[in-house]
Amino acid sequence: MTEVTITTPPAAPLHVFEIWGNPAAVAKRFKAAMGFALPATGQSGGSDALRLIRFEPTVWLVEGDISALGDVLAEDGALTATSGGIVRMRLSGAGWRTLLMEGGVFDAESPTFAAGCSAATIIDHVNVRLHVVSDDACDAYVPLSFSAGLLHFWKEAALSL
Amino acid sequence: MINFSFDGKAYTAQEGDTLAAALLRNGIGLVGRSFKYHRPRGIMTAGVEEPNALVTVGEGGRAEPNTRATDVFVYEGLVAKSQNRWPNLSFDVGAVLGLAAPALSAGFYYKTFFGSAKKWMFYEYFIRKAAGLGNAPTQADPDRFSHRAAFCDVLIVGAGPAGLQAALDAAEAGKRVILVEQDNILGASLIRDPQELDAAWIEVTAARIRAAGGRILPRTTASGYWEHDLVTLTQRLSEPGQVPANSVAQRLWHVRAGQVILATGSIERPMAFAHNDRPGVMLSQAVRSYVQRFGVVPGKRVVIATNNDDAYKTAQTLKDAGAQIVAILDARPAPAGANSGHRVYNDAVPLLTKGARHCLKSVSALVDGKTMEWDADLLAVSGGFTPVVHLHMQAGGTLDWNEDAQAFIPASSRQNVTTIGRAAEPQAIFKMVPVSSPKKSFIDFQNDVTLADVDLAWAEGYRSVEHLKRYTTLGMATDQGKLSNMAALGRLAEKQGVAIPEAGLTTFRPPYTPVTMGLIAGAGAKDAGAHVRRLALYDLHAAKNPIWQPLGYWFRPRAYPNGGESLAQAAMREAKAVRNNVGMTDVSTLAKFEVSGPDAAAFLEIICATTVSKLAVGRGRYTFMLREDGFVFDDGTVWRLDENRYLLTSSTGGADRMATHISYVRQYLCPHLRVSAVNVQEHHAGLAIAGPKAKAVVDALIGTPAPRHMSTEPATIAGTPVLVLAASYSGERAFEIYVDANQAKAVWAACEAHVQAEGGCLYGLEAMEFLRIEKGHLVVGGEVDGRMTPHDLALDKMLNKAGGYIGASGLVRPALSEGGRRQLVGLEAIEGDIPEGSMLIPREGASPQGHVSAAAFRIIEGGSVALGQLVDGFSRHGEILIASSPTRGQKARVRVVAPHFYDPAGERYRD
Repeated sequence: MTEVTITTPPAAPLHVFEIWGNPAAVAKRFKAAMGFALPATGQSGGSDALRLIRFEPTVWLVEGDISALGDVLAEDGALTATSGGIVRMRLSGAGWRTLLMEGGVFDAESPTFAAGCSAATIIDHVNVRLHVVSDDACDAYVPLSFSAGLLHFWKEAALSL
Repeated sequence: MINFSFDGKAYTAQEGDTLAAALLRNGIGLVGRSFKYHRPRGIMTAGVEEPNALVTVGEGGRAEPNTRATDVFVYEGLVAKSQNRWPNLSFDVGAVLGLAAPALSAGFYYKTFFGSAKKWMFYEYFIRKAAGLGNAPTQADPDRFSHRAAFCDVLIVGAGPAGLQAALDAAEAGKRVILVEQDNILGASLIRDPQELDAAWIEVTAARIRAAGGRILPRTTASGYWEHDLVTLTQRLSEPGQVPANSVAQRLWHVRAGQVILATGSIERPMAFAHNDRPGVMLSQAVRSYVQRFGVVPGKRVVIATNNDDAYKTAQTLKDAGAQIVAILDARPAPAGANSGHRVYNDAVPLLTKGARHCLKSVSALVDGKTMEWDADLLAVSGGFTPVVHLHMQAGGTLDWNEDAQAFIPASSRQNVTTIGRAAEPQAIFKMVPVSSPKKSFIDFQNDVTLADVDLAWAEGYRSVEHLKRYTTLGMATDQGKLSNMAALGRLAEKQGVAIPEAGLTTFRPPYTPVTMGLIAGAGAKDAGAHVRRLALYDLHAAKNPIWQPLGYWFRPRAYPNGGESLAQAAMREAKAVRNNVGMTDVSTLAKFEVSGPDAAAFLEIICATTVSKLAVGRGRYTFMLREDGFVFDDGTVWRLDENRYLLTSSTGGADRMATHISYVRQYLCPHLRVSAVNVQEHHAGLAIAGPKAKAVVDALIGTPAPRHMSTEPATIAGTPVLVLAASYSGERAFEIYVDANQAKAVWAACEAHVQAEGGCLYGLEAMEFLRIEKGHLVVGGEVDGRMTPHDLALDKMLNKAGGYIGASGLVRPALSEGGRRQLVGLEAIEGDIPEGSMLIPREGASPQGHVSAAAFRIIEGGSVALGQLVDGFSRHGEILIASSPTRGQKARVRVVAPHFYDPAGERYRD
C-alpha cells in the first residue's frame, strides 16, 4: 500500500504579492532586501520565515513575515491579505504524488515537479495550489470552504492508492 | 477450489477461471436467453466480445447486470444469475416469442407501435417487460469509484507480443510508459498459443518494463480515445459483485499520452448459417483458449469450420487434449489443410446445426455442392479476423481495406497514434459467402438480427449502412457489433453489388466495452457530484441545528427553528425580530474583491456601471455590473477603504462568474492599469446585524459610534480587527462586519451575545428573502436573470454618465430601451397568496405578459406580495392581473404596484 499522511498545520499569514509595473526594478529591490531572487513562474523561494510561491506571471503567494515587502513593492504593486480564505495541508510520505493524481488533471508524478516547484490546478473540482517541499512532502493551499470536503476526499483516496 | 453459484446452484471453479470457463468446466452449456426471441444461448467467445453469455453477477447494490461471463473472474462466493428468462433458464416461457419470429422481424417496432405519443407510452411498458437484458439494482452501490489522472510519453494498449515488445522498447529507451491489458494476466494471444513465446518470456518482459520504470495496468480496458491523445482507461480493482479489498471497486484513468500505440489484436469472426447461435457453437480461438489457459475442453466430438489456417491450431490443440476432431470444414479449395493430419473437407461451409436447449447434436454442411452431416457436441468456427480498430477510429483515424484479410485496418490519424501487431496486419482469409437459409442465420447475436433481417431492410429500401443499422438494431447492443459488423457489411455489399469498402462503415464511439455508471460518477457518486462548500462558521451554525439551504455549492442556514417551529414559522419570527428589534445573519459567502493601486478607481469604473472615483475614503455605494451586451449580470457594493484601495462585493451565486470577469478585464482588457484585484471572498468571514437596535449593538461592540449609512470604518471586536460597513439589504439600519475567517468565531460569538442581550436572534436565508422582497431589493438569479437592462430594473439613473464601463456600448442599442420590454414591478395580492414563479396574465387563457420572480408575506402588516417582471410594467401600476401557476394549480389576483412595499424613502436605515 502506498503511504501518505495528510496534516493541517496551523494557519499562517498568507498574502498575495502582485506587481503591476516595473518588474525588473521590483526584482532588483526584492533581491537586495531579501537576499534571494523573486521565484520564477512555477517556482518557490525563501525559507520557512518567508516563502514566496509564484503561481501566476505577476502574482506570488507569500507565506510568512511581509513587513519588508511594502517597501520592495513601493508604487509598483500591492500586498493583499488572504490567509483567512486558504487552508494549508501537508501531504507527506511516498504516496503524495499518487494521491494528487486522484481526481486531478496535473502531472504531479513528473520527476520535474521537484522540491521548490509550484502549480495551480484542479483536484476533484477544487482549485488547489501546490508547493513541493521535498521529495516526501508537498503543501497544498486549499480554499477554506472546500477544505473539509477535500480533506475527506483525500483521506478516503489515501486508503486505496 | 473456489465456490460459486449459478442460478442458485453451487459449483466449484479453479483459480484463474473466468465464469465462462468455470461454467464450461462444470458442463453447463446453456447460459442465457437471447434479447428478442429468448433463444437458448451458450458461450461463444473467451473475451470481451462475448454476445451471448450475459449474466448478472453479485447481489444487492453490488449486482452488476449484463456482465459477460467471459469477462469476470470467479472469486469465492461469486453469485451469478442468468437473465431474461422466466420461470427459469431451461424452461423459459418467453421462448414462445421465437415462434412469432416472422412477425418480429427488422423494423417491427416501427411497423407496429405507431400512433400518438400516448399510445407509445402504453406500448413501451410491455416492450420493456418483454425485452431483455438484466435488471438494474435497486439498492445503492456500497462501493467507491476512483478517478485518477496519469501522464506518459507512450501509452500501449494491449499486452500481447506486439504490445509487450513495444512497451519494453519504449521503457528501456527512457520513456515514461503505461501498458494496459484488459485481461488479468499479460500475454493475450500468447496465452492460447504459448508455443510462439512462452510464459517465461512474458514474465521476463514485464519485469524489464517495470524495472525501467514502466507502469503495467492489468484488468484495465482502454475504453475511450478523445482529443489531444487523452485516453480513458477503466480498471477493475475488484471483480463485478465482489467486495473490494480497499473499498474502491473500479478506477477511471484519464491518461494524457505523448504517443499511443494500439496493440489491440483482432477478434475472430463467426460464420452465418442456420442455428449458428446454438450452445455448442463457439469461435475457434476461444475453444483453443479454454483448452490452453483453463484446461477445459468444451467438447468431445468436434467439427471445425474455417476459411483460414488458424483454426488448424485449434484442431491440434483439441486433439492433444483428447477430443475427437470429426471433421474440418475448410471453405478453401484443396489442397488447403491437406497436410494437417485431420479429416479435412474442402469447399465446405456450414449449413445448419441441430441440438437441444443445452447442447449441440449435429452439424450439416455443404461440401463441394453436397450436403453432409456429422454428429458433434462442439462446432468451432473461424470466419476470419476483424482488427480491433475502435480506438483508432475514436481518435479520428481513417481505415483502409485489406483485401487479403477481408477487413478494415487502421490508416492515418490526426492524433499521435500507431497501430501494431495483428490489429494492423490481420491474417489472410478466404472470402466466403453464406449459403445457408438466412432466417436463422444470426449475425448480431445480442440483438437477434439475422441475415434475413438485413435482406428485409434492403428490400424495404434501406440502402445506407447507417439506416440499416438503425432499422435492424444491428451493432447497437452492448457488444457494439464487435462480431456482427463485418457480416452485415458483407451482406449489404453483396446486395448492392459492390465491394465492402463501398458499402460504407458505421462509426465506433466510446466506450469500447460497457462502463458502469458508478465509475463515470467517481467519488461524486456519494455526494451528488461535487464537494459542499462550508462556511467558515459552519460548526457554530451546525450546533444550532438549522434548516440548511443549498445555494450553489454552499450550504447556508435557511432558518433556526425554535422547538417545533416549521420553516415558515421560524423564518417569520426571525424576520419580525429584524423589523422590530435586531437580528444577525452570516453573509460570508458574498463575493468580495480587494482592488488596489493608483488605477483602482479607473479599473472599477470599467467593471461597474456606476461611478466609483467620486467616493470619499470611508464611503461606499450600491453598484451593478453589465455584460458587454448591456444586460445586468450582478450587483453589489463598492467601498473606498483607502486612497488607492477598494472593496467590491457582489452576489454569492455570481461569485465565481464575477471572479472570472474581473480576471478577464484585468488580464486582457486592462493589462496597462496599475491595479491589483484579489478575490478575498473566503478571506473575510462576514456577518450582518440588522434592525432598529442594530446601531446600538454595533456601538457597544466597537466602543465608538457606528459608521453612518454607506460608510465604513475599521474597528475591533473581541480584540480582533474587523471592518464595519454600514449597508442595508433588509431595509433596516444594518451593518456588515468582515473579519479574517481564521478569527471569525470570537467575533461571531461577541456579536451574537450582544444581539441576544438586546432581545434579538439569528436569522437565515428565508427571513432574509422576506425582508429584501418587502424592501424591493434585487437578487441575482431572481430579478436579475440575464435578460434585464438597467432601464428594466429602474437602475438607469445610477449609470455612470461618463460611460466607459463594460456594457455601455451594448446598452445604447435602440431595442434595449424600446417599449414592450419586461420591467420590474411589485405585486400585491388582492385575493389568494401569490405563487412564486407564476406567470402574469391579464385574464384566463391569455398569453403570459410576465412572471413572478419572488414572493413573500409582508412581515408586520401581513398579506402576500411579490416582485415580478411585466411587459411595460412601469406604466401599468394599478392594473389587476392574475398570477397563475398551472403546474401547481395555484393562482392569485394581484395589483401591479411599485416594487417597494416597505419604507420606500429609506428613512429607517439613515441616522
